[in-house]
Amino acid sequence: MREVAIIGVGMHKFGKFPSESLKDLGRVAVWNAIHDANVEARDIQTAFVGNAAAGLLTGQEMVRGQVILNDACLFNIPVTNVEGACASALLALREAWVWVGSGMCDVALALGVEKMYVDDTAKSLAALSAATDMESVGSIGYQFSGGYAQGIQQSMRRYGWTREDLALVAVKNKYNGSLNPYAQYQTPMTVEEVLNSRVVAYPVTLFMTAPIGDGAAAAIVCAKEMASKFTSKLPIIIKAMAVHSAGFRDYREPFREPDPGTRGVPSLSAREAYEAVGIGPEDVDLAEVHDAMTPAELSTYASLGFCKPGEGNILIREGRTSLTGDIPVNTSGGLSARGHPIGATGLAQTAEIVWQLRGEAGARQIPGKSGKGPRIGLIENNGGTVGAGPAVSSVSIFMRE
Amino acid sequence: MEKKVLQLKEGLFHVPTSSDDEPYLIGSKCHVCGYVAFPRKVICPACVRDDTMEETPVGKRASIVSFSLMGQAPKGFTAPYIQAMVRLEEGITIATTLTDCELKEDAVEVGQPVELVITKIKVDDQGNDIIAWKYRPIAKK
Repeated sequence: MREVAIIGVGMHKFGKFPSESLKDLGRVAVWNAIHDANVEARDIQTAFVGNAAAGLLTGQEMVRGQVILNDACLFNIPVTNVEGACASALLALREAWVWVGSGMCDVALALGVEKMYVDDTAKSLAALSAATDMESVGSIGYQFSGGYAQGIQQSMRRYGWTREDLALVAVKNKYNGSLNPYAQYQTPMTVEEVLNSRVVAYPVTLFMTAPIGDGAAAAIVCAKEMASKFTSKLPIIIKAMAVHSAGFRDYREPFREPDPGTRGVPSLSAREAYEAVGIGPEDVDLAEVHDAMTPAELSTYASLGFCKPGEGNILIREGRTSLTGDIPVNTSGGLSARGHPIGATGLAQTAEIVWQLRGEAGARQIPGKSGKGPRIGLIENNGGTVGAGPAVSSVSIFMRE
Repeated sequence: MEKKVLQLKEGLFHVPTSSDDEPYLIGSKCHVCGYVAFPRKVICPACVRDDTMEETPVGKRASIVSFSLMGQAPKGFTAPYIQAMVRLEEGITIATTLTDCELKEDAVEVGQPVELVITKIKVDDQGNDIIAWKYRPIAKK
């Protein structure tokens, strides 16, 4: 595969936009990316559109990408719709990467778009539950918030995490979000405010969860050697995108902690991504991770190899994953502050990494481990539940040269 | 329109027909390796063979693996309720909700025994009652 560069990103702010349609959200993100990449709309040769719940929540069950992109005046090109629950946008980017990397085309668009807000929380929650086996899980009252909450309780018992540890992650992300003009929540919060908000799924409170909202994000990729034809901005190279679906865990075997594996990295997707690039967790300058419930970050620090299993609370207490820490996580505010229109999130994570690596992150800009700007960014993005784990798990690594 | 009582799906569980009849879930078991599945599987995931699974009743009794008090509910359900993972006596863990227990964050304990109940779990868009499995705590440890 030849190397593929991200030459443009664009977003529509995440939030509640009852008067905007999927077409409106998508158009804004696409044309922001077109301007950022300095391409003409007709330079885009194919598009992959990620969306999860538009059928259930807006009635747009089929041809979602075609409807949105025709409205945005991308005519005639092949458009493929991509779904992977909360990882839909990431999977769309991966398709664009492989098409361009393989030489099928030179310039591709990936768009992620979602309308979760329909002024009926129960309906939005029912849509979320549909990212599981609807025969016996999603249809009986299972909610992701409850699934996460139960895992967090088990970690609290096993590792001694406190409720304050859980809240510290939310405080970090709400602060970062307050510096992000695209974030749904732009107000910092205190530990007390987080802990005193209403219980969504004990011990997870409202301000520890990603909000329901709308939004879109897009990226334009091209063959690395062609980037300078379009833009003088720093091309950001996609170095790895490791994706897995659920595996088989034999319940008859006694439960063990995930194998720490190479360099203390338990996650299969993370190990594969690091090995593909030839780096380790110590080389990563920043990470955008899947904090659908903020306390999940504490487990993710370990699964990515930033600490040993169970020691995520030490990282948050020491401020090591804040903007001024040595391994900033969710500089954008993450899912919990930036928001989580589920089909758009993976490309919003992409936009943040691109902005940070280019030095365009404004008040959120981190210096990186070299002090001369971050060079290596990582995205962890998951979706749905099947069996004992996520339906989709992914770790991607981007690098500036 | 008359409100109906409908099973979540035919063939998932046995609905008791009298007070002497016990409810059970309809699972399957591999006669080669002993792997048990609910809902029933046709292919044994341990053997990866399609000719070894046979239907078997499961889940009359279980114990609590984890649980969480839910403050908001998807359409058709009523909050608050308790979402839980329970380990059936046959060894597998399934998702469920609890019934006949207090709606508090510490209503039950990890490891507490529970028993299967087939009961209304939600209301569908037409207003019909949908029945499926829930588990009822038996006694605190």
